[in-house]
Amino acid sequence: MVGPCGSVPVGADRGLSLQPILHGQAVMTIQYYVFLLVNGLSLGMLLFIIASGLSLVFGVLRVINFAHGSLYMIGAYVACTLATFLSGGSFFHFLLLLLVVPPVIAILGFVLETTLFRRVYQQEHLLQLLLTYALVLILDDVVRVIWGGDPRSVVRPDILAGSVSVLGMALPSYNVFVLLLGPIIALGLWYLLYRTRAGNVIRAAVHYPDTLGALGVNVSWVMTATFMLGCWLAGLGGVLVAALANVDLGIGMERIIECFAVVVIGGLGSVGGALLGSLIIGVGISFFQLPFGRWALVFPYLVMALVLIIRPWGLFGKPER
Amino acid sequence: MTENTLSTRNWIVGVIVVIALAVLPFVLSKLGRTGEYWIWVTTEMLINGLFALSLNLILGYGGMVSFGHAAFFGVGAYTVALLMKKAGISMVLALAAAPVAAALAAAVIGWFCVRLIGLYFAILTLAFSQLLYMIVFQWYTFTGGDDGIHGIPRPAFLDPVNYYLLCLVVFVVCFLMMRTIVNSSFGLTIRSIRENMERAKFIGVNVRRFQWYNFIIAGAFAGLAGGLLTELNKFAQTEFLHWSKSAEPILASLVGGMYSLAGPAIGAAVLMFLKIVLQQFHQTLVEIWAIVLGMVLLVVVLFAPDGMIGFFQRMRGKSDA
Repeated sequence: MVGPCGSVPVGADRGLSLQPILHGQAVMTIQYYVFLLVNGLSLGMLLFIIASGLSLVFGVLRVINFAHGSLYMIGAYVACTLATFLSGGSFFHFLLLLLVVPPVIAILGFVLETTLFRRVYQQEHLLQLLLTYALVLILDDVVRVIWGGDPRSVVRPDILAGSVSVLGMALPSYNVFVLLLGPIIALGLWYLLYRTRAGNVIRAAVHYPDTLGALGVNVSWVMTATFMLGCWLAGLGGVLVAALANVDLGIGMERIIECFAVVVIGGLGSVGGALLGSLIIGVGISFFQLPFGRWALVFPYLVMALVLIIRPWGLFGKPER
Repeated sequence: MTENTLSTRNWIVGVIVVIALAVLPFVLSKLGRTGEYWIWVTTEMLINGLFALSLNLILGYGGMVSFGHAAFFGVGAYTVALLMKKAGISMVLALAAAPVAAALAAAVIGWFCVRLIGLYFAILTLAFSQLLYMIVFQWYTFTGGDDGIHGIPRPAFLDPVNYYLLCLVVFVVCFLMMRTIVNSSFGLTIRSIRENMERAKFIGVNVRRFQWYNFIIAGAFAGLAGGLLTELNKFAQTEFLHWSKSAEPILASLVGGMYSLAGPAIGAAVLMFLKIVLQQFHQTLVEIWAIVLGMVLLVVVLFAPDGMIGFFQRMRGKSDA
């Protein structure tokens, strides 16, 4: 009868606090659209950070990790718990969260990869899907048991709590912070993948894992490292969202589907595609909120359905993987 | 053993089981309150069994992994709830409308989903079911949001025993219908698509259309199951559409054996029995039901995949059970 998550008000009004702060009266001019754009881009950057992890892991491991959203949610909850010990407020404490939580999730990823995922790489697709699905069932419920159903959040550091004035508009500085952090992460990923030896190895593992192994590289550790990097990104997204909006038990599932939309739009395994997809989804949701309110969350599904019909392998992907 | 004697044996076993199930409530009703409880439980087992059978049409016979089957279950449930509560339509008509509404939903959703295979199919089914879940959740004035719809009337002549018998009749009729379907040329085509989609295409099978029809049929049966559960509980709620509800028939199919016709129903009954045993053992164990389900799934995936495939190969020769 009642599902296992009986008491969870999934989809309740947790709406990301992306409502722009307006100066004085309602300014229904170009400024308002700049607001929407900034908010949409910052949501897009948050999505990118999470979705790029999903995409990267798929590219190397060929497993689509349904539990990626759960790892992100765990990151958010761990951040909330740590923040209560740190009695938030200072930027230093927030920085500490950003530095500590993602590695914790990466270590969790290490455990999952070496004990579970590694066993099913050679198996058929169905089993891999079911494995990550089982993990979603387990991890989501573990979160509910540990943290309960009450929404929580991280207090924004003082520096980022207010607003910054751009073009005579007050933009919430935290959103601007996320908006600026996104490109840094994107650049970092690009540098890592295309300008370092580790990146070369990862990219080689995407296309020619056997040859790579024959060249004396331990491919299974490349996979573990990639998975950990993906989890690190999920954890980072978790910390960022904890200070942006309320954290509750539905965020994992809600976000993983947005991430699916992102990677489907961009093409599974393509980090550049994930960036484009995130921005489309983020900005789309932000602009659709104006006429449609909460129904704007339908937008990712529409885009995803559209892309899957027209170009199932995504804008940047290749057909017949 | 030749196919004929096997078939005869199956018929004999089937008739014996049905007779036993038909006698069961009269025995149970002699046992006072515990008996009443068990009548309710067995009724729900039949309903969950029907739900699992419906999924298995696409999962086991069609080879399509759907993570969104609860969508059709929920559509059926809400159809019955809305028609009986808001439109005052009689129960029989409402129950007849449930599979029709679910089939319509499956036709729309399936039209998109069957364009994709494997991974993408799983993602899109999950996304669509979440979309429906969100719509039901948000549309408070129509669906009651997370309050659900309560107080659905029940005709006076349907006491628990009679309702059990009604469900049993529906179950047996549906089972025989599904048996006819999977053994028809349609069913054989579906199985040939599962075995080798490319070859099926080469011999001129319109793969998408067959998968679409199969998806619609499965959706219709799931809708009927949802309608029956709504009438049993006298309420419909958003949990019926929740993604974790989609996990239940998958698990039932895995536990009971997804390449046999009756297996998933047996699996559903076993899982429900497990849930009740846990409940008797300790109340808190039911609160972590999702963890238990996930663990069972993990164990099956990690330690019995060969068993599953072995089972599959054994069934391949005689899958007309």
